Amino acid sequence: MKNEKFVCLFILVFLFLFLSKTSFAQSNYVLPYPSRMPGSLSYKLNLLYENISKYWYFGDFGQFDYNLKMADKYLVQAKTLFEYRQYLLGYKALKKSDDHFAKTSAYLEEANRKNKNVSNKETVLKKAALKHIEVLEKMDTETPDVFNWEPEKVASTNLYLKKDIESAINIRKNNL
Amino acid sequence: MKNTVLYFYAIFLVLFTIFSYAFVDPNLIYMKNIYSGFAFENRSIVAILYILFVSSFFVFYGFFIWLGIKKQLKLKDIFVLVSITIASLVFSYPAMLSYDIFNYITTSKVLFFYHENPYIIMPIEFVGEPFLSFTHAANKIALYAPFWITLTGIPYVLGLGNFIVTLFSFKIFITLFYIVTTILVWKISKNIISVILFSLNPLIVIETLISGHNDIVMIFFVLLSFFILMKKKVGWAVVFFILSMLIKYTTLLLIPVFFFVIWKILRKREISWNNIFYFSALLMCAGFFLSPLREEIYPWYEIWFLSFAFLVPNRKILLSTSLVLSFTLLLRYIPFMSLGTHTGITPVIKSVVTFVPISLILFYFAANKLWRKIYYR
Repeated sequence: MKNEKFVCLFILVFLFLFLSKTSFAQSNYVLPYPSRMPGSLSYKLNLLYENISKYWYFGDFGQFDYNLKMADKYLVQAKTLFEYRQYLLGYKALKKSDDHFAKTSAYLEEANRKNKNVSNKETVLKKAALKHIEVLEKMDTETPDVFNWEPEKVASTNLYLKKDIESAINIRKNNL
Repeated sequence: MKNTVLYFYAIFLVLFTIFSYAFVDPNLIYMKNIYSGFAFENRSIVAILYILFVSSFFVFYGFFIWLGIKKQLKLKDIFVLVSITIASLVFSYPAMLSYDIFNYITTSKVLFFYHENPYIIMPIEFVGEPFLSFTHAANKIALYAPFWITLTGIPYVLGLGNFIVTLFSFKIFITLFYIVTTILVWKISKNIISVILFSLNPLIVIETLISGHNDIVMIFFVLLSFFILMKKKVGWAVVFFILSMLIKYTTLLLIPVFFFVIWKILRKREISWNNIFYFSALLMCAGFFLSPLREEIYPWYEIWFLSFAFLVPNRKILLSTSLVLSFTLLLRYIPFMSLGTHTGITPVIKSVVTFVPISLILFYFAANKLWRKIYYR
């Protein structure tokens, strides 16, 4: 009897450890396909287009849309680059995504101050934050804590990737 | 011209204006006091009345053309007729046949009130915006070219934030373009028949003075561009031609003709303006028939080529086709008016009323030509 209990407990622990999957917060917000990656001429042209289009997206709602679009784009870019172990480029993309995401709520506050109803935009931002967190948590499990970047002819640098991902998650959590 | 005809014409137009108010939208909160629901509850009666109004309009139009041909209508008489037409119809209800004027106003509000880019932000994104209840293209980004949206700032600002004042300031704004285009038709053609054909055409009048479509603005700028080219001033002509494309992109189709004229001017060669306007009409006609590729043929698209076709009234086939289309296109509104749906048999009836009469006309001209060839052989 004692043995049977022990076998059952062992099976349960085995099933839990080897068959369970890590689950993340789920959001129905859809991220874009990966964009052009750094290193090509078309990427530079794309950066130029991004800088020009910043002025096309004038207005509070326009700037909100622009920054959220950029935050999505660079998050997907960071994720793709991390998967290919291009940590330095991925780190830069993640920082860009953070910068753009941090700006979104400021534009909503400005719109609200001008008596524009921002309820729908706030919902979109919350959904986006949840989706971003979902992606970042997944990245967190697949990324080394620290990565030593050794470029040619220049001193090496330590990239504290885990810390940066956690900081990115916190920026998103501020909008939940 | 007998004054009796003038009185009848004026009474007819006033009745048409009153009739237009039968179509006031139930969601138009700003006109709830005059909402009757008549057009939505008496669909058959309204459709019959509409046919009678359009037919009578064409009877008057035919009579004015006939007077013009008989040289019994002078420029001063046309001025009186145009003035009566404007004075009667400018106060008509604009969304009788199309809701486009509401789209113009709401798009303008996105830019000039909310200070957002209408090519990025849709009106529907402004939660609680009162115009959303009656704006039909609220879920679309701006459908119009940038110069048009910029121009709408004028009537929007003149509206002083009051919807009814804004609505009629848009109508008056469009009416001004109708007036200057009529003057331009006279300046270009120096032909009284062309002026009658253009300024009193029921389709042009209904779609411009009642529905307030911006096609007339595009036509004004393109005709102005050709008029300036007639004076051999290429620079300003190019500017106005570009402005016309930035009202509505359709005049892009005229680029080959436009550059051909510039080439002729630079080479100091003789220009046959009759041929230029004829080919411009044909190109715009092509654009009109290609419009179903984007959405569908809308009656007001005929203004694109009518304006050129009327500058060359000696081109019989083009003129006859244009006149018949003017009538049949206005009949395209009847199926929805009587059935209240855009689906089912409605598109079939629309296609039949548009294409059968025009096919018969073209068949008549082809058969006539063939018969003459056989007869004179």
